[in-house]
Amino acid sequence: MQGSVTMGSYIVPITTILIVIGLLVGIGLLVSFALTMGLSVYYKEGATQRDKVRSDVQNTLLSRAFSPEPEWNDWVTELSDTERTVAIDSLAEYLRELDGSEADSLKMLGKELDVPERAKKALERGHTYERLQALTWLIRLETPEPYYAASYEPTTQAERAAVARLLFQTGQLERAENGIELMLEGATGEFSVFGQDTLYRLAREAPDAMFAIGADWYQNWSAPLLAQVLLICGQLGTGVRTADISWLTASLEADDEGVRAAAARALGSFGWRPELRDSMFLARATDDPSPRVRGAVYEMLGSWGDNEGATVLLYALISEDDPRALVRGTNALVQRQEHVGESGPAILGAAWDWSAEHASYDSVARGRTRSTGT
Amino acid sequence: MHTTAHLVVQLFAATGIFVLAYYLIVNGYYLCLHILALFELRDNVREASWDQPFRRFSSPFYPGIALVVPAYNEAATIEESVQSMLSLNYPELEVVVVNDGSTDETLEKLIERFSLKALEAEVPFEVPSEEIQGTYRSTKYEELLVVDKKNGGKSDALNAGIWLTEMPLFCAVDSDTIIDRDALLQIVKPFLERPGTTVATGGVIRVANECTVEDGIVKEVNLPKTGLPGLQVMEYLRAFYSGRLGLNRINGLILISGAFGLFRTDVVREIGGYRHDTITEDFDIIVRLHRYLTDEEREYSVDFVPEPVAWTEVPSSWRVLGRQRRRWYRGMVETVVTNRGMLFNPSYGRVGTIIFPFFVAAEMFGPLIEGLGYIILPLAWYFGVLNIEFFVVFFLLTTGFGIFLSWFGVFSEVWSFNRYNDPKQILRLLWYGILENFGYRQWKTLVAWQGLFEYFRGVDSWGVMERGGFSSANDEDD
Repeated sequence: MQGSVTMGSYIVPITTILIVIGLLVGIGLLVSFALTMGLSVYYKEGATQRDKVRSDVQNTLLSRAFSPEPEWNDWVTELSDTERTVAIDSLAEYLRELDGSEADSLKMLGKELDVPERAKKALERGHTYERLQALTWLIRLETPEPYYAASYEPTTQAERAAVARLLFQTGQLERAENGIELMLEGATGEFSVFGQDTLYRLAREAPDAMFAIGADWYQNWSAPLLAQVLLICGQLGTGVRTADISWLTASLEADDEGVRAAAARALGSFGWRPELRDSMFLARATDDPSPRVRGAVYEMLGSWGDNEGATVLLYALISEDDPRALVRGTNALVQRQEHVGESGPAILGAAWDWSAEHASYDSVARGRTRSTGT
Repeated sequence: MHTTAHLVVQLFAATGIFVLAYYLIVNGYYLCLHILALFELRDNVREASWDQPFRRFSSPFYPGIALVVPAYNEAATIEESVQSMLSLNYPELEVVVVNDGSTDETLEKLIERFSLKALEAEVPFEVPSEEIQGTYRSTKYEELLVVDKKNGGKSDALNAGIWLTEMPLFCAVDSDTIIDRDALLQIVKPFLERPGTTVATGGVIRVANECTVEDGIVKEVNLPKTGLPGLQVMEYLRAFYSGRLGLNRINGLILISGAFGLFRTDVVREIGGYRHDTITEDFDIIVRLHRYLTDEEREYSVDFVPEPVAWTEVPSSWRVLGRQRRRWYRGMVETVVTNRGMLFNPSYGRVGTIIFPFFVAAEMFGPLIEGLGYIILPLAWYFGVLNIEFFVVFFLLTTGFGIFLSWFGVFSEVWSFNRYNDPKQILRLLWYGILENFGYRQWKTLVAWQGLFEYFRGVDSWGVMERGGFSSANDEDD
């Protein structure tokens, strides 16, 4: 190594390079040390201040919440900034846990603490998670006004789900169908579990509308989104009487095996519909090339709960060559063993024995759980 | 003689330039990762601040999770561990304990504590593991399944559990790992956000030594007072908060800790489960998932979630730690060699072209090259050809930058989830960030070389992890 390095037309002494590297590393160390310790002390100080007042704030908050005249305004005006922060944190916690008149009283406190006004500002200026948290606050406080007052349009599927939930829970939707449309119109990607749950709650209010929208739009949806909607339809149960389920049966023919499996699960609630009893349809379903889909079809047949479904299932299982699909089938069939003749268990052999024994232990443990209340 | 001396000097100079160039590139890579990690952490903290307004336990859309717990001679702790796992907050949970041919009373303790009954029915399908000698169901807990099999190692035990569960997701956990009560609700988030594409997620592993543990929950987070576990706290923070977060930002995560990772059951079955002939099954499985899913041209993601935390006891003696680290190094080399076809292979996207090669350069060759540096320096001094400038640059690039990267990890911890919430603990952590560069770091390069030699010698043992147990409030009372 020489005493200098040539950089283009410049000759830089090694010492200079060393000093620069040393300075860079030194400054980096100094800054990261100062930032880390400064932040730690700042957080600790804030936590200490909040801990000092937490007990008093929470006790007062709860005693006023259970009082017929909480007089929140008087209390809130006396709060310091730290106490106000603790009050808002505690409010979020209690709103999750309390119902009834106490919850109504806490919602009044939220308004006195200017939470709706802060939420409005967050909707207008915050990043996506601040907007979502703002909508969460409005849902908890059942206060849709700031949403209407803010110059804000939901931009992500999660935000649309949160807005739909807000409007649904605050009775702002003329019909639940509007909420379903709000969530699904133009949707392409998957929903998070929160979105799925919101769509499910809306669909429970208007199951026929859910099926009608699905029938109209399902061909525009991506496979993962369609699979999610089908799972939601499967959860709606027998409440759906006259809805068009042709798109569910059509989905059993989809290219994506996840969609076919979800369609099979969705059809589990519709065993009484005559169009599902067609032998050609059932043969196609039980002959699906994917073991995963066949397993779901077996569960569909099992959930129909009648002799015909059990018989079709039994015959399909006799020729099943995938051991895991077979076990899914026997798991479904043992739930309907009153429809299975004496020869069934013998034909299905080890898979039946496995499923039957597990089912018996499930019921033993469930019975024990119920009796002990654990 | 003059020519020989000249050649030696040239050799030292060339080696010095190579080492400096190597460190400049690798440290530049690490710096980029750390900066990416900050952006990723910011997004994660923001996301964690959103308190989703729905009741999780009444939602029918949470995918079921099986906790697969391999257990080998864990009689002392297995009852408490399983009880703790059964108490985790998650809507649909199954706990599958796989007794991997224990020679102690692991199985007997489980049978007694959880009222287990042996199933008469045999498993009706092939399981890619050593012979299953029995399966047990609890008459108390519907969600508990115990599998008793002949000893075959951790991978083998995991495979037995994965094949025997019907849950769509499984979480591989060590039986001595303490999982935060809500950790499953957090680690599952990527599967909830992107159910169609997420195949694996990993959470943060933290050091439980000297933390106060009660009823399987970490009640009080304490930083180990002794040096060796303390240094490992520093290492874990740096690895999780910087390395993995940064890689996650570019969908290039190639390692999820075997102590706490969540996987899609069907996809892991598709690749044949865990390989039996590897000693770092956690690294191997992720690399193989990348390889398989890319070969299949499937859209997928492997995610790291910094919020959920599992706690583990780390070795507190040099002997045990050395054994663990040699095993890690051997396993890394073995996995890299097995999957060498991915290196610089553009068909594996950025994992093949950037991440895997940099991983190999930094994690596999890094300690070896650094170790060489520690040999060359005194030799160069002995031969009178030590260049002081080279020495200073080497020191700055290894030690100075090493401290900077470690402190970056501590900063990320404070800025985000701040579990070590006492500034005195943070100060101590920063001190560990300095301390590890004097002795510990050099020792690790020696261990890496030993691991490499063991790899070439075909050593494939796991070695025994000796644990001192967790502190409890009662211990303090005593």
